[in-house]
Amino acid sequence: MPSGLSPLASPPTRYQLRLAASLSALLVLALLVTAPYARQPAASTEALLPAYAAAVLVVELLTAALLMALFYVQRSRAMLLLAVGYLLSGVMAVPWALTFPGVFDALMLDGALQGTASIAAIRRLSFPLFVIAYAVLSDREFPSGSAPRIILGSIASVLAVVALATWFIVSHDDALPQFMVDAHNVSGLWRFVPAAAVALYGVGLIALGLRRRSMLDIWLMVVLFTLLIEILLISYISGGIRLSVGWWAGRFYGLTSASLVLLVLLSEATTVHARLARSVLAERRARQNRLTAMEALSASIAHEVNQPLASMVTNASAGLRWLERDQPHIDEAKAAFGRIVTEGHHASKVVTGIRTMFLKGAQERVPLDLNHLIDAVLTQCNDEARLGRISVSTALEADLPPVIGNPVQLRQVVTNLVDNAVDAMRGTAEPRFLRVTSQRHEFGEVLVAIADSGAGLAGVDKDRIFEPFFTTKPDGMGMGLMFCQSTIEAHGGRLWAVDDVPRGAIFRFTLPAPATAPRSSEPIR
Amino acid sequence: MSADRSIVFVVDDDPAMRVSLESLLRSVGYSVASFESARDFTLMQRPDLPGCLVLDVRLPGLSGLEFQRELGRSANPLPIVFITGHGDVPMSVAAMKAGAVEFLTKPFRDQELLDGVHRAIELDRRARAKATMLAELRARAATMTPREREILPLVAAGQMNKQIAQALQLSEVTVKVHRAQVMQKLRAKTVADLVRIADRLAADADANQPDDTRV
Repeated sequence: MPSGLSPLASPPTRYQLRLAASLSALLVLALLVTAPYARQPAASTEALLPAYAAAVLVVELLTAALLMALFYVQRSRAMLLLAVGYLLSGVMAVPWALTFPGVFDALMLDGALQGTASIAAIRRLSFPLFVIAYAVLSDREFPSGSAPRIILGSIASVLAVVALATWFIVSHDDALPQFMVDAHNVSGLWRFVPAAAVALYGVGLIALGLRRRSMLDIWLMVVLFTLLIEILLISYISGGIRLSVGWWAGRFYGLTSASLVLLVLLSEATTVHARLARSVLAERRARQNRLTAMEALSASIAHEVNQPLASMVTNASAGLRWLERDQPHIDEAKAAFGRIVTEGHHASKVVTGIRTMFLKGAQERVPLDLNHLIDAVLTQCNDEARLGRISVSTALEADLPPVIGNPVQLRQVVTNLVDNAVDAMRGTAEPRFLRVTSQRHEFGEVLVAIADSGAGLAGVDKDRIFEPFFTTKPDGMGMGLMFCQSTIEAHGGRLWAVDDVPRGAIFRFTLPAPATAPRSSEPIR
Repeated sequence: MSADRSIVFVVDDDPAMRVSLESLLRSVGYSVASFESARDFTLMQRPDLPGCLVLDVRLPGLSGLEFQRELGRSANPLPIVFITGHGDVPMSVAAMKAGAVEFLTKPFRDQELLDGVHRAIELDRRARAKATMLAELRARAATMTPREREILPLVAAGQMNKQIAQALQLSEVTVKVHRAQVMQKLRAKTVADLVRIADRLAADADANQPDDTRV
């Protein structure tokens, strides 16, 4: 489960910590304010009790539902136990209110004096146990079986347990521990219940405090702290007198705090949802962008390959027709077939270029002689240069130190730059010249320059020409220069472009040439 | 096989494609002139021959489709056979709607291209013949006097001399003389001939836009 997605499962933020601390401080303050009046009885406030119980039921059921939903997503046993704890506590509020002396007289349950206290004891003591279990269990434990079935099973079990317990408590009042001396005052035996509860809350707080993995842990600590304040007010400061000011105040604070915690959890859950929706949208957009880029790329590749294919097919047709004439025209046919050969090589070059661009194992580096490489590329481009009436010249430094690099990739870089130069001169005024130079550069580097007499780079953003899909050619992919730059930089060099005088452009790149050439003696072409 | 003097213009920015197209078209006997861009083509003084244009859609500068529109508006339009590197349906529809003869996706079958070129040249030949004839008719019509010009539509509408005389408040004899003059000046042998010529002149006057004389 991606924990980053759920704020509840993510580590608490500073804001959350501050909020939790303020809430706890407020509770302490409320406790201090209430303390002096705690023992005053608030007579005949039984009528408020059903409302209070209903509120507790709603708040705790909602919390349980929220936690169940979290369990449904995370499948962690700890989360399930916590949800069951909330569910049990919430449902138990029903028999508690029903059996409370003087509330539902019509039900004739109030004859049983000990029932309410027993239920309260179960609620008080079971809830921290569940929280402790949650804190102790690892998030990584996952129960087997389908989540909906587990959730339904848990709910059914809780209801069954509450029903059974209620039935037993109502029908066996005599068998219950004697917590109460009358409807409002507790016996000495009751002392143990709040004491045990306080101890359990303490253990729970420590367990959660040690864990403090998530935001949820922090808010559970607030809940336990609230319960602690509540039990202090109900059982100690108010002297355990039911329906006294302290007794009510404790419950009121507890309920308020529980509602606040629920609100926080709900808002967090909403945030999760919003964040999820946002990330799904962002992901979809990113995929769309990738698709568009891929479509553009594949369309460009198709076009690049299709162009030489079209001219090959046309040349072949022309050649056949020259031969099929009444008087076969051998020279024309030969010329056409010669062009097929040239274009075939051109197509293959395009394919190689594309493959090199996506080459795996580009890390393979060997010492190589750039002059050899330049010669090889220029030989290959000879036909095209001749076709474009371009004069090619070179000025290559005689004993250029070898550079370390990937021969296939560097050859492609030089090929791309030479092709670009040839393309740039298409349609420009003659004389058209292409000049390639190589020389030693500062810091033991080698500098290669490819100059053309084309239109130059005036009016073209020199930073953008290396960006992918940026092109000034009607048929261009806009991948060539990007590939050149990333390749040169991957080799520890630099590639840049400047305007030439009086016209044209110069592309220059440097490559590091280690002073002491490795022992592999033969430079590889 | 295409014979009696015609010329094919090729505009494609890819030199390899240009050379191969030239060769193919020459192999069947066409004269070919090829250009790198639409601009280069417009700068040329076009020979007075039936011809057609083989035009690449993707061109530097003015695109093929833009150039088609421009050429369509010009004084001497030319039928176009489009060739394109990527078969784009909306683009081909636009080109055909604007009057292209053919829209071929590279690589195309040579016969398809040659058929397209043949049809395009025939269209141009007919358009030129029609234009020539119209020019001739216009020249003849220009020799008519204002009165004769007035009488022509009435005769063409099938009115009797008497009716025309009444309408123009002339004597029947005068109408008869004018009518003979009109027949002679327009070189119409019969009234049916005259009606046809009058229709053409009327259509020409209505249109009077270089656009609509285009094929």
